[in-house]
Amino acid sequence: MRLVSPPGAVGRSTAVAMVAVVAVTLLPLGLTSYWLFLATSGVIAAFTALSIGVVSGRAGLISLCQLSFAAIGAWAVAWLSMHHPDLPVLVLVLAGGAAAVPFGLLAGLPALRLRGVNIAIVTLGCASVVDTLLNRYGIPGVDDGIIVTRSGVFGDDLYYFWLCWGLLLAVVVGLALLGARPTGAAWLAVRRSERSAAAMGLSVPRAKLTAFAAAAFVAGLGGALLVVQLGLAANQSFGSFPSLVAFTVAVMFGARFPEGAMFAGAATVLMPELLRRVDVPADVGSMLFAVGTVFALRQGSGVAEALRARASRRRADAALGRSAAISGEPAPVALPVAVPVAVPVEATRPGARRAAAGSARPGPADALEVRDLTVRYGSVVALDAVSFTVPADRVIGLIGPNGAGKSTLVDAVSGFLPGHTGDVRLGGRSVTGLSAAKRARTGIRRTFQQGLAVPELTVGQYLRLAAGRALPRAEVRALLEFVGGPPSDLVIADIDVGTRRLVDVAAGLAARPRVLLLDEPAAGLPADTSELLAARIAEIPVRFGCGVLLIEHDMTMVQAACSDAVVLDFGKVIAAGPVEEVLAHADVVSAYLGGQQLGGGAEAGGPGGQQVVAV
Amino acid sequence: MIQAGVSGLVSGGVYALLGICLVLTYRMAGVLNLALAAVGAFAAFAMIELQEEGWPYLPAVLAGFAVGGAVAVVLGLAMNRWFGESDTPTRAGVSIAVLVGLLALGSRLFGGDARPFPAILPDVKVRIAGVVLTAATLIALAASVVIAALLTAMLGRTRTGHQLRAVAARPVTAELLGIPVRQLTTAVWAASGLVSTGAVLLIAPVQSSQFSSLSLLVLPATAAALLGAFRSFWLTVAGGIGIGVLSSLIGDNERIAAFSNIIPFVVVVVVLCVVQRREVWDAAR
Repeated sequence: MRLVSPPGAVGRSTAVAMVAVVAVTLLPLGLTSYWLFLATSGVIAAFTALSIGVVSGRAGLISLCQLSFAAIGAWAVAWLSMHHPDLPVLVLVLAGGAAAVPFGLLAGLPALRLRGVNIAIVTLGCASVVDTLLNRYGIPGVDDGIIVTRSGVFGDDLYYFWLCWGLLLAVVVGLALLGARPTGAAWLAVRRSERSAAAMGLSVPRAKLTAFAAAAFVAGLGGALLVVQLGLAANQSFGSFPSLVAFTVAVMFGARFPEGAMFAGAATVLMPELLRRVDVPADVGSMLFAVGTVFALRQGSGVAEALRARASRRRADAALGRSAAISGEPAPVALPVAVPVAVPVEATRPGARRAAAGSARPGPADALEVRDLTVRYGSVVALDAVSFTVPADRVIGLIGPNGAGKSTLVDAVSGFLPGHTGDVRLGGRSVTGLSAAKRARTGIRRTFQQGLAVPELTVGQYLRLAAGRALPRAEVRALLEFVGGPPSDLVIADIDVGTRRLVDVAAGLAARPRVLLLDEPAAGLPADTSELLAARIAEIPVRFGCGVLLIEHDMTMVQAACSDAVVLDFGKVIAAGPVEEVLAHADVVSAYLGGQQLGGGAEAGGPGGQQVVAV
Repeated sequence: MIQAGVSGLVSGGVYALLGICLVLTYRMAGVLNLALAAVGAFAAFAMIELQEEGWPYLPAVLAGFAVGGAVAVVLGLAMNRWFGESDTPTRAGVSIAVLVGLLALGSRLFGGDARPFPAILPDVKVRIAGVVLTAATLIALAASVVIAALLTAMLGRTRTGHQLRAVAARPVTAELLGIPVRQLTTAVWAASGLVSTGAVLLIAPVQSSQFSSLSLLVLPATAAALLGAFRSFWLTVAGGIGIGVLSSLIGDNERIAAFSNIIPFVVVVVVLCVVQRREVWDAAR
């Protein structure tokens, strides 16, 4: 596990990138006009790869129509230059990119309804629609032999190469900036899990549409540049088959990363050229790409990703070697121990102490009130008229044997089971009709048992994404210290699964919710850490002014963190009240612990302890 | 007008057959097999090549079916072995790569031009209420209905069907229970390859028959499968036939004939977007 990149490691990859950029910039000075033409084509092909990297790599939506967006860009440029021949090249190209955006949104619309791989079908259909339209109407000027002329300095092929290369770098920088901000981070969140994105209050439709729009813009730029480079662009360059090939090449080289997209662009151009020189038919190239793609999918990473992983491993080894040289043994990997810190506290609502869990009369300070919540799956009643409240100043434990309906309850409350009946009220206002994302924005936050934090983001970026607002650096640090989490600049992929749950708790708190639903946050944590977490959870109501509903199997943790508990069994509340009373309740003992004696410090021992429960 | 609609029945039946295969591999193996029609086209072209080599008609057709089944089985076993643990989008990515590979291989081996396909069926025409139905139409429709009925009944009622569903839902558990996972997977993929070959052979004589255009028959078939929500064989059959008839009706109208292939697709997507308006959170993310 890599905790912190050693200083100089990041510097080294930056240096490599700088050298590569300078090398490519100077490259055309030493090329013949033929190779300069190929180099320009390669840079242009990288735009398509980059656009696939956005929509498929980052947002996880398989798109098989990126060259159709390029066709729209080319079409727009051809039309514009026919009717306004004096427009500067840069304006033409940017207009081409912009023209593709509405079509990107149009192609993305079905993604709002059709989930998963179905979007691959829709985009394949879009490609064939654009194919048909192009064959019917053609790109303006092609039939009449009217070519797009490059006015000004870009008439020189050398300068045109620099224009393409400069635009590509600008797009790469733009995407990097976007990726660090919520707009781009939301794409990764949606790819990770649409549910967890919605639970963070992110609009899944918005994320998908912005991904398609950005990808269409980038692809449109590529199409525009191509038609300006060639003067005439044939329909066939933008057909379904080239789109399919572009997708495979992008996957093979890992176009989510800029260098991957550039490799892909170079390969698209160099492969046919090399094959031509050794007298092998060009379609062998597509076969090689197909095989390479299957191989990359088997490995789980494209070329760029594999290179990055190798570099990062080497850095980690170097770092371990360095610290081993100092301490004589491998660096211990430990969570930093949390130090109590002042966390910005919302004013706790006065008079909140009155209400208790399960109380029939809701007080004004009830953060969450659940009334007669019923969930049915066919004839199975998963939750049967469940009612309870979570006051703003309490931590309520939700316990019960496996299959009692705890997670179903959290799903229903957080809006993932729109078919439920009964009422869910937040701060006295009903949220029953609201979608999951809207409930999250109103103030219901949850974590997931599986721990769905976005692996590509740093801890800090993830917290900012979850907060849905500008989050000062100091607050990020304070939140992480509060939960005993890792440093904010760690990439989540490098953190163990247990610690990711702590990050999820911090992310929930970052949004300043009215109520936080924690679904087994301590699973996978070592005992001392979960003890610490229990103490922290107990402090949440005072420090953050938010009620907590804690699902937990570990009775020690429930006793340490909760003032009250609600017990579910077969979808019904069988007991509710102060923790000690509830745990002593005869029904609870028999339903939950199978008659096992429950002393002060006895514990049911996590999910494994569930085996004693009679069914 | 009516005759135009009826002449769309043959392609409709073919879309239905291909759609059934898509639903079958999606439900049973978790694979959205975009290379399905390319496999069928590959087999059909192999048959033509053999015939040109001088093979008699029947052995060539049988060899064509064997090629289709074998290619599909190789694809299925590779999916099972190398991508058994992968998620659905990854497997879909693999099928896209296979589609690209087959398209390239097909154009290399068989050329990019349309080939004259001999009708595999005798030129029998049946006249019902003044409407002429070809033998291909009758076979395509009957086959799609019969296969849909068989699959629905088998998966729902028979022991093999239950085993198949177990393999689809929990491959490892199924294997531990002693269910012959490998054999069943092979059977599913072989069936998809054979049906796909038959479907392509039915439509190739009456359609533009380049390797690429036959491979892209998968598009209307996916539309049909989408209408069946990649679950219901019956809805898929209905969707496939509907798409075929609609295309044919559009092709009959000169003003919009050029769009006969794309309008049904757009209709399907719009219909689905309206129908699936309710927010659903399911395993498909």
